[in-house]
Amino acid sequence: MKRFAVFPALISVFMLAAAVPAFSADDRLDRLEGEVKSIKQENEALKKRLEEVEADQEDTKQNYSNLSKLVDVSGYADAQYNITNQPGENNHFRVKHLSLFFSKEVQKEWKLFSEIEYEDAPLIDSNKQTDTVSKSQGTVFLEQMYVQYRPAVDMNVRLGRYLTPFGIWSIYHYPPYVPTQTNPMFFKIMFPEVSDGVQIGKSFSIRKSLLDATLYVGNGAGNPGGADRNENKGVGARVNYGTDMVSGLEVGASFYREKGNSGTMQNVYGGHIQYTRSRFQLQSEYLLRRNHPENSGYFNDAAFYALANYDIGKWAVAGRYDWFDNNQKAARNGHYRYTGALNYHIAHNVIAKAEYNRNVFADPNVKNYSEFILAIAVAIGDL
Amino acid sequence: MRHKIMKYISALVLVVCGCLGAIGVSSAPASDPIVVIVNKNNSVDVLSAGDIRKIYTNSILEWADGAAITIYDLSVQDNLREEFSEKVLGKEAYRIAEEWAHLKITNQAKNPPLTLKSQMLIIRKVSMEKGAIGYVSLSSVRDNPMIKIVNTIQ
Repeated sequence: MKRFAVFPALISVFMLAAAVPAFSADDRLDRLEGEVKSIKQENEALKKRLEEVEADQEDTKQNYSNLSKLVDVSGYADAQYNITNQPGENNHFRVKHLSLFFSKEVQKEWKLFSEIEYEDAPLIDSNKQTDTVSKSQGTVFLEQMYVQYRPAVDMNVRLGRYLTPFGIWSIYHYPPYVPTQTNPMFFKIMFPEVSDGVQIGKSFSIRKSLLDATLYVGNGAGNPGGADRNENKGVGARVNYGTDMVSGLEVGASFYREKGNSGTMQNVYGGHIQYTRSRFQLQSEYLLRRNHPENSGYFNDAAFYALANYDIGKWAVAGRYDWFDNNQKAARNGHYRYTGALNYHIAHNVIAKAEYNRNVFADPNVKNYSEFILAIAVAIGDL
Repeated sequence: MRHKIMKYISALVLVVCGCLGAIGVSSAPASDPIVVIVNKNNSVDVLSAGDIRKIYTNSILEWADGAAITIYDLSVQDNLREEFSEKVLGKEAYRIAEEWAHLKITNQAKNPPLTLKSQMLIIRKVSMEKGAIGYVSLSSVRDNPMIKIVNTIQ
């Protein structure tokens, strides 16, 4: 009886032993199939993710030729504290600028560009009974507003109000992007800061050099918007040449001519140079304005500045020499300003500035003075 | 005695492993070089670092045959962009980005670089567009028949 019981047991053990490899082969097959399925799923997920990333990048790219869906808003603001010993001036805080830029590609090749500037914290208050303005301070200014037609990257036509394209500083002067808070003294004096009119810009490639040329015609100084007080128009031209011979060197010339509302014919000539080598930048401009009043002889006013800037990581150190003479026929008329500035880039769009200005006058009757400025400038808009 | 031998062997193993690790590290490539790439149909075969700088700063606006250049860049936070900016453009990436912001805010930018999120997208764009230029790491683009390497930045 015992023998009968042992025999089936042995057979069972034998069959079990034979079946184990078969089960493990099936298991491996199943496992492999599962892994293939899982890899396929991962592959599908990756493909989907790739499509999403591509769709994302289409939205984020800054393609000038494509229509953007939204109005692009950018701008800057700066506030400062002035310490000065200038006669008649007190130390003071100044809420200097809030400038907002709105641009929109309304059609392929067509763009609206505008800048609204709030200077010195504008306040306009009215008398509630009479609706007359009882108090106002600061400036609200439509600094730029033009419609641009840009058929190619090297050409544009702008109609409206634009920064007068003369030299360098008249175009590139926004506080987050220049090392000084003060402008060179000629700024807003030698020619109008903005022009209402039309300009055409064209860039010419000459081997590996680039020549930018701008021609423009506008109402002239003191004739903004719809209030042109004379038939004369201001005309101007600017050229800038980035030479291939010396890397980082750009030179240029500008001209502006207008007969003002007072009848004085003014011709303004300017030359500029900019040299950039790695972290060092030198920028300089010379301007000469020849004034021909209707009933008296001509006189010149002239200006010059040279600005050197050196970037050291988050720090930038700059020095500027600035000279302005508003009538070269008058004796001892020069005004000289020596500026030293230190910038610290807290972030790419937040800059702390410290600036010292020493103002010296050729006329001994005018008291020299110094000014120390502490400022914060911020930029808005993406990188 | 046995304990001392075990300690000695452990120390020896650690030293040998350390040496092998050091050899392994030192025999690896110093770093993956950056390559500047254009489309395979672009007539340009070589670009100097100066040419690339001029393209990326808009001093050159078109290829020698007059075709428009489309410039691709990585985001300002990308390490590869930082390396490219410092080696080719001579400044930190965020300083270059600030300069572009200045040009854009004054509406003076002629042909600003288009920012893409990854090297893969740059390769893809350059593969598809004849006038495109971009930069990526060498390992990401080796043996890609659709693009041409015009400069290797060490």
